[in-house]
Amino acid sequence: MNDFLFTQVLTELEDAVGRENCSTSEIDKVTHSVDYFWLSRMWADRGRRMPEADFVVSPKDARETSKVMKIANYYKIPVTTWGGGGGTQGGAIPVAGGILLDTKRMCEIYEINEEGMYIECGAGAIYKHVEWAANERGYCTMHYPSSLTCSTVGGFLAHRGIGVVSTKYGKIDDMVLKMEVVLPNGDIIETSPAPKHAAGPDLNQIFIGSEGTLGVITKAQMRIYDQPETRRFRGFLFKDLSSAFKASREILQKFKPSVMRLYDEAETASLIKKIVGVERKGAFMNVAYEGVKELVDVEEKILLSTFKKYGAEDLGSEYGEKWWKEKITFFYPGHMMDLPQMFGTMDTIAPYDKIEKIYRAMKEAIETNFPQAKFIAHFSHWYEWGCMVYDRFIIDGKDVPEDPREAMRLHNAIWNLGVRTAIANGGVVNDHHGVGIKLGRLMKEQYGPAMQVFEGIKKSLDPNGIMNPFKLGL
Amino acid sequence: MMNISEKAKKTIDSCRFCWMCRHVCPIGNATGQERNTARARALGSSLVARGAEEIKVIAANVYECALCGACTNNCVTGWDPKTFIIEERREIILENAAPEYIKALLKKYFETGNIYGKKADGIPETAYGGGEEILFVAGTDAVVNAPENAVNALALIKKAGERVSFIKNQDSGAALYFLTGKTRETEEAAKRFAEDIKGYKKIVFYDPTDLALVSHEYKEWGIEISGNAVSFNEYLLYLTESGKLKPKKSGKRYSLQDNYAYARDLDDAETGRKLIEKVGENKDMLLCGKEANFAGSLIMNEYMPEVMKKVAENRWRDAINSDCETLVTESPSEYVMLKKTEPEGKRVITVEEMLAENL
Ligand SMILES: Cc1cc2nc3c(=O)[nH]c(=O)nc-3n(C[C@H](O)[C@H](O)[C@H](O)COP(=O)(O)OP(=O)(O)OC[C@H]3O[C@@H](n4cnc5c(N)ncnc54)[C@H](O)[C@@H]3O)c2cc1C
Ligand code: SF4
Ligand code: SF4
Repeated sequence: MNDFLFTQVLTELEDAVGRENCSTSEIDKVTHSVDYFWLSRMWADRGRRMPEADFVVSPKDARETSKVMKIANYYKIPVTTWGGGGGTQGGAIPVAGGILLDTKRMCEIYEINEEGMYIECGAGAIYKHVEWAANERGYCTMHYPSSLTCSTVGGFLAHRGIGVVSTKYGKIDDMVLKMEVVLPNGDIIETSPAPKHAAGPDLNQIFIGSEGTLGVITKAQMRIYDQPETRRFRGFLFKDLSSAFKASREILQKFKPSVMRLYDEAETASLIKKIVGVERKGAFMNVAYEGVKELVDVEEKILLSTFKKYGAEDLGSEYGEKWWKEKITFFYPGHMMDLPQMFGTMDTIAPYDKIEKIYRAMKEAIETNFPQAKFIAHFSHWYEWGCMVYDRFIIDGKDVPEDPREAMRLHNAIWNLGVRTAIANGGVVNDHHGVGIKLGRLMKEQYGPAMQVFEGIKKSLDPNGIMNPFKLGL
Repeated sequence: MMNISEKAKKTIDSCRFCWMCRHVCPIGNATGQERNTARARALGSSLVARGAEEIKVIAANVYECALCGACTNNCVTGWDPKTFIIEERREIILENAAPEYIKALLKKYFETGNIYGKKADGIPETAYGGGEEILFVAGTDAVVNAPENAVNALALIKKAGERVSFIKNQDSGAALYFLTGKTRETEEAAKRFAEDIKGYKKIVFYDPTDLALVSHEYKEWGIEISGNAVSFNEYLLYLTESGKLKPKKSGKRYSLQDNYAYARDLDDAETGRKLIEKVGENKDMLLCGKEANFAGSLIMNEYMPEVMKKVAENRWRDAINSDCETLVTESPSEYVMLKKTEPEGKRVITVEEMLAENL
């Protein structure tokens, strides 16, 4: 864009959001160029600059967002929405330049509705702040991802995020009642007043998971819950994964624990050693159940008798309690994998008849083709019909190419193989981290001709293709 | 390239890709700007350290940190972003890359003795009791911006029958340290101050930031002070426990605005609460003690007043959400900022005012 037109657009954006909320400064561009995506971090670590936006704007509400969208749509300038930048798929990186729309000024807690049991807030609110607002009134949000303190309401909705007590309380898409969205042409829309209805398809579900490619979520009503009277933990050791799957499926037909985390044999070996001090073979599982005390007493009985039937050894509650206390500690530098290592989480989901097969196929594919990679997994977020596998590959720094292009080549080859193996065995591209630029190319491989439904919606809502280009395979 | 310590470099490389403490940064929470997070500050710094950016690009952002330590306190692994921020301020000054408004504050400091460029004659010498053993240091912020607070504090001390002394030099070097890190000028100011407070048995610091500097940085720089340095809160507790002050217990509810220098740097979140309990009921906000949100800085108010106003308003919002009636402050900075933004029906008072109204 020439200097004249650039300045013209700049003044229009300043008019829309206020001069102090529209920036072209280097520091704002740089800090919005690297998100939690490994490739962007590696690029910066090698002293390279990631693609940067030309303008960084922070609207305070839907009205200002709408003004920004109208300007962008008229001049056909790309718009990338940025919440917390905590996404792992490069979704918030402004790869095509243009306008970076940061939502964090839209952080207002508008209402805590104790009768309707929801909080209405701006989509740029950090989820931990929503949790605090709920806590101040004696409630809680029950959305506890490890990124609770880093990511925003809009970001979780846009990526279909999930927290650790999801088995009982659901994913983010189960926790939202209503949303306000600004479309690419600047129109402000609201989804239906309640989420469960027969007034056509659910508008919420069109925008949840759309990763900023269809519009900007500006406000949402998120559910709140009573604090559980009691929350109890229990650890178990199964002789193998198969018996753990059978036992878990049976439990889920009876009641819903809040936390269920089953570790594969590789992760169990080190974990059990840490907890009970001896290395044991098998698959470790941590279960939490909570709510009203009388009900929890009954659930505990059912859990113990059901798991016993499948040969599980009861390891008591100590590990679970410790894990709960330290559940986010694992994500701080020093505890978490970090550069120069290469790593990634290839979470996927499938019904019980396929999930174990998917896990074994992915493990074999990665370990055989990339012997330098370590592969570990656990299974969390369970349903009556299936569960999610959270599998990770980790490569030591010494085996990661120094040349950033070569590092990217290796990274993408591993992801291609891992996700293609998941798809081939009945899994999906991703469970709860989203698609972004990282996995966009694999969306068509999963959906085939069904992809035209997404493409059709995209074309009609965003005919100029300005919203988050090169993401979600759209 | 920046000439910073290994510790600062390591901290930068740990924080630059970490998102975990963004929710506690009072500046980021007030501005909603991504650059106002520990990770963004570190990312910018790491690019400078790798030669991909110039230091002037990060300069303004480096000054947008309050050094409140909320991130440090939140960090499970013990990283302290203040380490690299304060060292970077020194580098920025040495490279003459500071924003103009920071240079202007420093110019005022060297011309008038304080960064506010104001006269420091708000507390009459007669307010002191003239004792020889105890020195009362009000500190620059109180002398210049909240002299009535210091006068109230001194009146309470007199009421307790204590006599405290006055010295002209009220500058511990805290403002210079905040703006320029450990430069020659900061050290000189610190040495001057250490010299001037020599000979007293007890030195009572009214401003927690001065006490934190004297307790930590002076030690690190090898500057010794001869007397026993205590906080004003500790001194008040001594006055009440020794019976020199006899406050009465009422049914009033107070909430403490924990000052970060007390609660985090000096590890004392208790004394203020003990004082509240002498006169009424302590009603903590959800974020209190070491987790407390900071409520504003007078230095930063000189160059980012709108943000400081928002910071104070955010703290009032915490107070309102936690159903607090009267906020009790421990530092002149936070008192002034909270007073400026006091919502209808709520009240902010200093710890000495709280005691005085219950005598
Ligand atoms: C330490 C750490 C731990 C994590 N653990 C978990 C976990 O336990 N569970 C989990 O689900 N995820 C986890 N994540 C991933 C991350 O938190 C989620 O992907 C989250 O949804 C990202 O939200 P964000 O606000 O950071 O979004 P960003 O990264 O800023 O953006 C993500 C995508 O959403 C779009 N977007 C953001 N806001 C809006 C909006 N208002 N309207 C429209 N589009 C928008 C962006 O354009 C982008 O495509 C973790 C991340 C980190 C850093
Ligand atoms: S201080 Fe700790 S939590 Fe904050 S960015 Fe640095 S490493 Fe992360
Ligand atoms: S010291 Fe305070 S103001 Fe500075 S980055 Fe940390 S939390 Fe933010």
